[in-house]
Amino acid sequence: MTRRVGIVSVAQGAGAESKDNFYDQAYRITKEVLEKAGITRDDLGTIVTASSDIFHGGISCANSYYWETTGAFLKNASRQDGESLFAFFYAVMRILSGQFDTALVMALCKGSENPPNDTCTLMFADPFYQRPVGLQETLAAALQMRLYLERYGITEEQCAQVAVKNLENALGNPYAHRKGRYTVEEILGSERLADPLTALQVAPKSEGMVAVLLASEEKARALTDKPVWFKGYGSSLDHFYLGDRDLLKGPLRDAAARAYRMAGIADPQKEIDLAEITEPYAFQELLWCEDLGLCGEGEGGKLIASGRTRRNGDLPVNPSGGVLANNPYVSRGLQRLVEAVLQIRGEAGERQVPKEVKTALAHGTHGFAGQCHAVAIVGIG
Amino acid sequence: MGRPVAIIGVGQTKHGRRTKISYPDLVREAVVRVFEDTGLTPADIDGVVSGTMPSMMEGIALTHFYFADAMQAAGKPILKTETCGSTGISIAHTAYYWIASGMADLILAVGHEKMNEGNSQATMTTVLEPFYQRYFIAGAPGVFSMQSQMWAARYGIPEEKIRDAAAYISVTHHDDAFDNPYAHVKLRVTMDDVKNSRLITYPVRLLDVCPNSDGACAVIFASAEMARKLGRKAAWVKGVGYRGEEYFFGDSDKGVWQSAVQAAKQAYDQAGIRDPRKELDVAEVYNPFTFQEMLFYECFGFCGLGESPDLVLKGVFTRNGELPCDPSGGTLCTNPIGATGLIRTAEAALQVMGRAGDHQIPGAKLALCHAMGGVDQFNGVMILGAEP
Repeated sequence: MTRRVGIVSVAQGAGAESKDNFYDQAYRITKEVLEKAGITRDDLGTIVTASSDIFHGGISCANSYYWETTGAFLKNASRQDGESLFAFFYAVMRILSGQFDTALVMALCKGSENPPNDTCTLMFADPFYQRPVGLQETLAAALQMRLYLERYGITEEQCAQVAVKNLENALGNPYAHRKGRYTVEEILGSERLADPLTALQVAPKSEGMVAVLLASEEKARALTDKPVWFKGYGSSLDHFYLGDRDLLKGPLRDAAARAYRMAGIADPQKEIDLAEITEPYAFQELLWCEDLGLCGEGEGGKLIASGRTRRNGDLPVNPSGGVLANNPYVSRGLQRLVEAVLQIRGEAGERQVPKEVKTALAHGTHGFAGQCHAVAIVGIG
Repeated sequence: MGRPVAIIGVGQTKHGRRTKISYPDLVREAVVRVFEDTGLTPADIDGVVSGTMPSMMEGIALTHFYFADAMQAAGKPILKTETCGSTGISIAHTAYYWIASGMADLILAVGHEKMNEGNSQATMTTVLEPFYQRYFIAGAPGVFSMQSQMWAARYGIPEEKIRDAAAYISVTHHDDAFDNPYAHVKLRVTMDDVKNSRLITYPVRLLDVCPNSDGACAVIFASAEMARKLGRKAAWVKGVGYRGEEYFFGDSDKGVWQSAVQAAKQAYDQAGIRDPRKELDVAEVYNPFTFQEMLFYECFGFCGLGESPDLVLKGVFTRNGELPCDPSGGTLCTNPIGATGLIRTAEAALQVMGRAGDHQIPGAKLALCHAMGGVDQFNGVMILGAEP
């Protein structure tokens, strides 16, 4: 990359049901992220939002509806569907093209007005083979989890430990939707939704207005003393039908390799100081850590048991509580990025990790058993 | 502008009522054709941009999942761009920025829609929020009819003249579609046929309106180095512009349509175009409604405000005219919405590459393509040239 892109400011709304309407929620977060950077809408170059129609309270072409609330009136703006890290990357591209100095990335989701998560994810299924049998994201994840337990001898207790860790971490996160101190037994004893997945190992349905302001290097330095730099990004998509895929060797490996290559990272275990990972199902944090190279293949169980991924461990994963604590479907990838930026800046409040964070990883995934992944690396220096 | 970006190949389906083919196979048809056209293989592609209209159109959410294989996108970086009716041009813009940023050298852009599997007007009614607008703006024609009435009243254009000009556009575009092997509706119609066709929403009649089409379009974008290395004739991106305005229909002036005016201006400024009617050789304007096409001519600076009906009736915008518009038959004859803006891009690219076959505008060197979306709300423009 010849030019650099900096993150100037970030803002996010709380995950619990809000009595504010969609417009008010979106407007407030847009305003906050601009005010933190000390700029107005007039100064803003471009806007890329992320949202999904079907998750969006019954309104098609979602960005028509919220266009002005994200500051986009008579601006060159665009939109990504499904994954908010896509929007982040598109905004980075727009700045790197040299056409814009600043870009607002905004992810919008009002979970409380949406149908249940899996009513929506059922619509990912093709209408002929999968949908008649009711395949949706939780069922696909249960199949993946069973395979994971059997192939590597990971235990259900180890998977439940992820939920214990993340829901406890969420106690320090004022934006988290679900939080609490649970035991492994309580996690495993919660309602069995799709064997072997229990309710507390499955993410809730949350609100999530999340914003990130990006700027070219020169502009970023002018706007903030603490720019966090875009270092790398990678995404990848897997085949559609579950039977065509190895559910334990998914496209995250490719996405991570691309992001690491761009960021010049040779040994992620040493060079990544902190990871915020999209784990809508507890076991996925372990599997994704393997795919990201944060531990060896089949060693996700050992990783959680070692305590290294706790908030005070040497490789903190999801100190925010992750997606198990806060799950605004489309917004969750960008929310991981916001949390990574806050940790690097030392602005994560009670959830700040007790170690120096120079380089952090944010991950997003959507689709059955992680059909699509995106990885972003940000850092200082 | 960032580093130079070129279009090096296009693939379209035969658009129409494709009931004998599944939605993924429809997508595959366009993707296979772009690989045949360019001689490239999926392994050469650095990333894929896909897009469509909202999920309710065909009842499938996040179609990049379902079409991963049809798009040859498994194992590839992916982006999913959606901006309502302007999705197609926004896909082209995304592919452009991906390469202009230096992040990729070859990007496959795919737009698709299988409208006969759903109810397009019911879907478009849900673009409107459920409290105010949904009750009185049913589908697309309502919005566009109001807009054309507002425009006619403002400039005092006689009703008969507008009716004649719109009918003229319908007749010529329907004729043009016969020379486009991929076009959906191919009808020989007369001015009287148009004026006597069934009323949809006054003043819009059936032959003033686009069809519901099934179709897909695939376009490969390349960096300058890659285009040269492949030694292929290319269409070069000279300008990109996009603007959006208020969601609530009554808040914006749809007569002098700022999103259209400014999107075109942004693209013209980048391309160094000052007098579009003289400098452009051809335009692929997104024209789902005849009346609206005239508004675009004015907003894009092809003529003064309120002047377009006279110029239309003089033949200025026909295939043999000063600035041929939609020689492919345009959206009026073919509208698989999520693909439509990308089809405009593909057609403009074919024109400047001199590969448009029977509907080629001789010597075309500079072309405009465009798409519109939202509640009469978004406009996106791209300028393509024969030279880098």
